[in-house]
Amino acid sequence: MTARWRLSLWIAVLLLPGLAVMTLFVAAPLVSSFRYAFFAFDGLLPGRFVGLANFQDVLTEAPFAAQTWRALWHNCIVFAALMATQNGLAYLIAFALLKALPGHRVHQVIVFLPVVLSAVIVGFLWKLFLHPLFGLVNAALALIGIHGLPWLGDERTALGAIIFTNAWHWVGFPALIFLAGMQRISKETLEAARIDGANDRVLMTQVIWPLVAPSATVVVTLTFIGSFNWFELPYVMAGATGSPGGATDVLGLYFYRTAFGTASSGLTDFGHGSALAVLMFLFIAVISGLGLRVLRRREIEV
Amino acid sequence: MSVTRFGLAALLASFAWGTAEAGEVTFWTWRQEDKAVYTDLFAAFTKANPSITVKFEAFPNENYNTIVTTALAGGKGGDVLHARAYGGLEALAKSGYYLPLDKTNVPELDNLPADALASESLRADGKVYAVSLAGQTLGLMVNKDVFAGAGVKVPGTWAELLAACTALKAKGITPIANGTATPWMDAIFGTVFTNPFLGPQWTADMLAGKTNFSDAKFAAALNKLTELKPCLPDGFTGVDYATSQTLFSSGRAAIFVGGSFEIAPFRRANPKLNIDFVAPPAPEAGQPTYVSRFFDSGFAVNAKSANAADAIKLVRWLATKDFAEPAAAKLGNISSLKGVANADPVLANVAKLNETAMPYTGLVYFRYESPTGTDLFQDGVQKLMGGTMTAQQVGDAMTQGIAKYYKPFQK
Amino acid sequence: MKGEGAKNLAIQALLLLNALVMLYPLSVMVLSAFKSNNEIFASPFALPENFAPVNVLRMWQETAFLRYLLNSIMVTLGAVVAIVVFGTMAAYAIARYRFRLSTAVFLFFLSGLMVPLKLAVIPLFIQLDRLGLIDTRLGLVLVYVAMGLPSAVFILTGFLRTLPGELEESARIEGASELRTMLQVMLPLARPAMVIAAIQNAVPIWNDFFFPLVFISSDRLKTLPQGLTVFMGEYNTDWGVLFAGLTLSALPITLVYVVLSRQFIAGLTQGAIK
Repeated sequence: MTARWRLSLWIAVLLLPGLAVMTLFVAAPLVSSFRYAFFAFDGLLPGRFVGLANFQDVLTEAPFAAQTWRALWHNCIVFAALMATQNGLAYLIAFALLKALPGHRVHQVIVFLPVVLSAVIVGFLWKLFLHPLFGLVNAALALIGIHGLPWLGDERTALGAIIFTNAWHWVGFPALIFLAGMQRISKETLEAARIDGANDRVLMTQVIWPLVAPSATVVVTLTFIGSFNWFELPYVMAGATGSPGGATDVLGLYFYRTAFGTASSGLTDFGHGSALAVLMFLFIAVISGLGLRVLRRREIEV
Repeated sequence: MSVTRFGLAALLASFAWGTAEAGEVTFWTWRQEDKAVYTDLFAAFTKANPSITVKFEAFPNENYNTIVTTALAGGKGGDVLHARAYGGLEALAKSGYYLPLDKTNVPELDNLPADALASESLRADGKVYAVSLAGQTLGLMVNKDVFAGAGVKVPGTWAELLAACTALKAKGITPIANGTATPWMDAIFGTVFTNPFLGPQWTADMLAGKTNFSDAKFAAALNKLTELKPCLPDGFTGVDYATSQTLFSSGRAAIFVGGSFEIAPFRRANPKLNIDFVAPPAPEAGQPTYVSRFFDSGFAVNAKSANAADAIKLVRWLATKDFAEPAAAKLGNISSLKGVANADPVLANVAKLNETAMPYTGLVYFRYESPTGTDLFQDGVQKLMGGTMTAQQVGDAMTQGIAKYYKPFQK
Repeated sequence: MKGEGAKNLAIQALLLLNALVMLYPLSVMVLSAFKSNNEIFASPFALPENFAPVNVLRMWQETAFLRYLLNSIMVTLGAVVAIVVFGTMAAYAIARYRFRLSTAVFLFFLSGLMVPLKLAVIPLFIQLDRLGLIDTRLGLVLVYVAMGLPSAVFILTGFLRTLPGELEESARIEGASELRTMLQVMLPLARPAMVIAAIQNAVPIWNDFFFPLVFISSDRLKTLPQGLTVFMGEYNTDWGVLFAGLTLSALPITLVYVVLSRQFIAGLTQGAIK
């Protein structure tokens, strides 16, 4: 066997188990349900082939189109807000932990504790905290003379309240990734910057930030994909219809309720549901593909 | 279909995956909270049919449809399945996953009234696919002790209701426990209070296409709901179902707008609760009032059951008083079967109100296609109460949504 | 450096505030495990009326808690180990070798992240059934592995790419085989990324009840979150018991995290030396 062949074989061996499992349990089932997008459904069995009609329906026809665009817009808000709050805070926390002040190990565990909880319990806990009758948030606001809103019941604040809960739940994860990236920066680099007179702000924004570019790539990409597949927390806190009045409706909820129906109605529609899923896939794939290129280029430039 | 044919089918099917134990019927349901009752009742069934045992398997309500759909599409699932009614039944029945029932395989269908049978039938072929379990009635649950303690009379008219609200509030009691944060509850809340203002004639006209939800009468009825805002808990747009339940069962609220299916959970949460079920207030003194009614769920046989013969035996038994009478008493519901009396005074009261009930329109007539009547209505009521939509806009949205599939609205 | 000291104090204060915001809701969760539904809603933030373990007892009596716990441990451990092993192998191939389909393979893995697998639950069920894997722990593990690989490959590829090539080269020049180079030279450096991939996947797998509900029907094979769903009724959910169960189920994974985070820090310092 030539060395070249041996190397190819070695690469194949490395890739094989992962590819096999992915093909059997993700790719194959997904491809067969993507096919549904081209059929009209009456009940659970695909009926007649309708070409792109389902796609046209979800993008342009009532009652689908309005919900599609509204959900997409909400997903965009979720992404932007999580980038700013969750990941911004995570970066600050990682920087604070990097200083290795006394107790930083304990803090590192604490910031990650909520991550291990299930969405069911996190959603329920924050529903209690944000509750208009007995919630602590409004009780605290009342102390400073503010009459708090029913956060999850008001169309203007409901989405924000769920985003906030998500940030609380997950902030530990990007913090950990940023911290991992920051720890790999050599001590000399940081010292040199300090000697040049860089204060913390300069350090964070001009010295460290470019050097943790690989971590940022991971965080931004996972946040993007997570934001556009967002499902569990809004499902627990706002239900399948994105209560109140669709103010918290996102693509994940919309797709799920279209395909499988709500608990009360039980009306399934795999045709339109699959069409939505295909569109979500294309959207996420294209944007994250392009985004990754930009992010990667940034990594190399540094 | 003959028993031998079922036997053959059973044999073939058990070859196919061979997991079912002989004589064991698996029953799938979303009623987690009824496990003890069903286990007891199924023991009685096994006593009468010693060769068959029943295994109770419950799933969370929110995930039940997906689980059942997946299992049935994969050729598996329980032998007897708790089925939804109306449109929820159709999706599975249409796909051939439920065994059609008729008087040859389940002669006990005779025990059910026509509207109960219709709730578990496929409109396209008129065949029955499940034995209806219970009728549900929507109205007001009142805490008699709270009313008595505050010295307030249970309201019979709209004006009395508003007056009672003021009086109860003055005593620090939340008049109506309901919030609007849980959407399915909003459809019930809206139906309960608007039906007496609409009346059976308007509903008949609407179904015939003579009028629709854009009608001024519908908007006027909806507008009545907004008068109730001061009666609801503070920040009611953020008050969800579980909170409303607790407000009522703990005696901090006087009225809970809901269904007869909630009587049992309330009593379980607080055995001392002195509860009564009454009709919503009449528009004016001397005018009639109506509770609203629908059928809830039923028992279907998995068309691919490995144990269809035994499954059918179980479903036949579920359509008799041997099951229905103790079940109604223990589950606290109104059986769909004809002539099942209720010893419980509150349920007897519900049964009496049922004699003049109106249908829960959004569910009974418009829950077959998307967007369903209840989905449109709950969304509308939530926005109306939240102040982001007017009554006329809600009505227009309903007419437009339903017109997608309802011919009489397509003009 | 006086200013430095004051600033560090301020940072400490902010970290403490953050710790409070993170921990307080957790204490509410633990206290709720001792409450009845009525107490949870009437006075969610007060101490429970008493600390009698009524809810824990109910959970103990009404579910096979230990068996479910054991199943959860087996499934999560099996899946996470497989994800990290297969994920590292694949990521190593993509990150450290040039081959023609490299980008395509990477995108194939990544695409698994971009679509809700719930959509495919019916074909997935049929696929598992065909392989005789319905109602088996192995079936569940394989589904989780397939779900977890995309993010693991993504995280690990990103990390492995940044490792300096000189180490690899010098190992090769010394005549080490590819396998040895990978195991003894490169992967020890990738430990932090492996830990991140493991944690990121362990948590959702540990907490998931959707796939077990669909794929597992035998009581002896149920996972803990699945087993706890018996307290979620249609109109009545036993929140106290659920809190008791979920609090207990959060304990093992928290301990695992604390242990892993030591590994993580060890891996980081090791990485920093090089």
